[in-house]
Amino acid sequence: MEIAYVAVIILFCLGIYTIITKKNLIKIVFGVTIVESSLILLLMLVGYKPDGTAPILDKEYEIVVDPIPQALALTTVVIGGSVTAVMLVMVIKIHRRYRTLNIDEIRKLRG
Amino acid sequence: MSRLNEVFKKLYKIGLVVTFAYFLLFLFYDIHNLDNNRKRYLSAHYISEGVQETGAINLVASVLYDYRAFDTLGEATMILTAATVLAFLVPISKATTFGTTFKSIVKQTVKLILPYLAVLGTYLILFGHVSPGGGFVGGVVLSIIAILLTITYSVEFSEYIVKPDQKKLVEDIGAIGFVLLGLLGVFTGSNFLANGQAYFGTGNAGEVFSAGLIPFINVMIGLKVGAGLAIIFNSLIKEK
Repeated sequence: MEIAYVAVIILFCLGIYTIITKKNLIKIVFGVTIVESSLILLLMLVGYKPDGTAPILDKEYEIVVDPIPQALALTTVVIGGSVTAVMLVMVIKIHRRYRTLNIDEIRKLRG
Repeated sequence: MSRLNEVFKKLYKIGLVVTFAYFLLFLFYDIHNLDNNRKRYLSAHYISEGVQETGAINLVASVLYDYRAFDTLGEATMILTAATVLAFLVPISKATTFGTTFKSIVKQTVKLILPYLAVLGTYLILFGHVSPGGGFVGGVVLSIIAILLTITYSVEFSEYIVKPDQKKLVEDIGAIGFVLLGLLGVFTGSNFLANGQAYFGTGNAGEVFSAGLIPFINVMIGLKVGAGLAIIFNSLIKEK
């Protein structure tokens, strides 16, 4: 249980590290996606109970995991997909205009 | 000297991230402790009363489409916005082919798989409130049909089978249908998107036609997500 929280921290920090060090725009989009997936894992962990079953009550169950974080995780997945799609189309537009994906060169070209 | 500078910069960034990780460790330790000590009244209520109040035995569906349906409306609007932005940014007239052509084995296999995908998607949507699944997952499976057609054949063939205008129409039907189903609660003298409160025939829990409006909202969400993701993928592929 505790080790899973450490996994969330490692994933989150890997994503943040990718965002602040990489120069390629596609890799920055990867970083944002890694951060999103770590947050989904965190939501799953917050709702988890030891020995709990999935929240589908077709029989009487003793312990059921919390359904609210799972619904919020679904929201996160959908919004993450939409935001990733919009980010990717922005990257495509930038590449068409500047012919490069390196953020340093893009900054040199304008402003 | 400049090399030393670069190494120092890299070490500085790594140090920043490690400090951040240390901060997160304390934060998550607090979250973990909070978990064990407090009782969560809201989730306990959902688990004990949710099946009687909404009629859906899938509690995630009852939270998504009954208790917090307004959140789901915003979430579905997000997909609509993304599809609209992409269709707006990408010119419709210019369609470039994918470049590679597949062997006939791939094409025949895809042709074999497609009906099963359609059945699976429909099943996931219609049985979303009694089993794992729901509108979002089923919509994604339905959109895979258009995506597979685009990848194995071409953008032109995929848009000949399912035209972009038809996809936009289906997405709009999903969006408007969701809002109209929500207004049904207002007309019967209850709140917007009310289902269990307005007594829309929760039925016998566990049957397909139960849980009031939840199956219909699932269908609307499924149409919307399927069409929206197909539009998003085709727009991204078309751009070159």
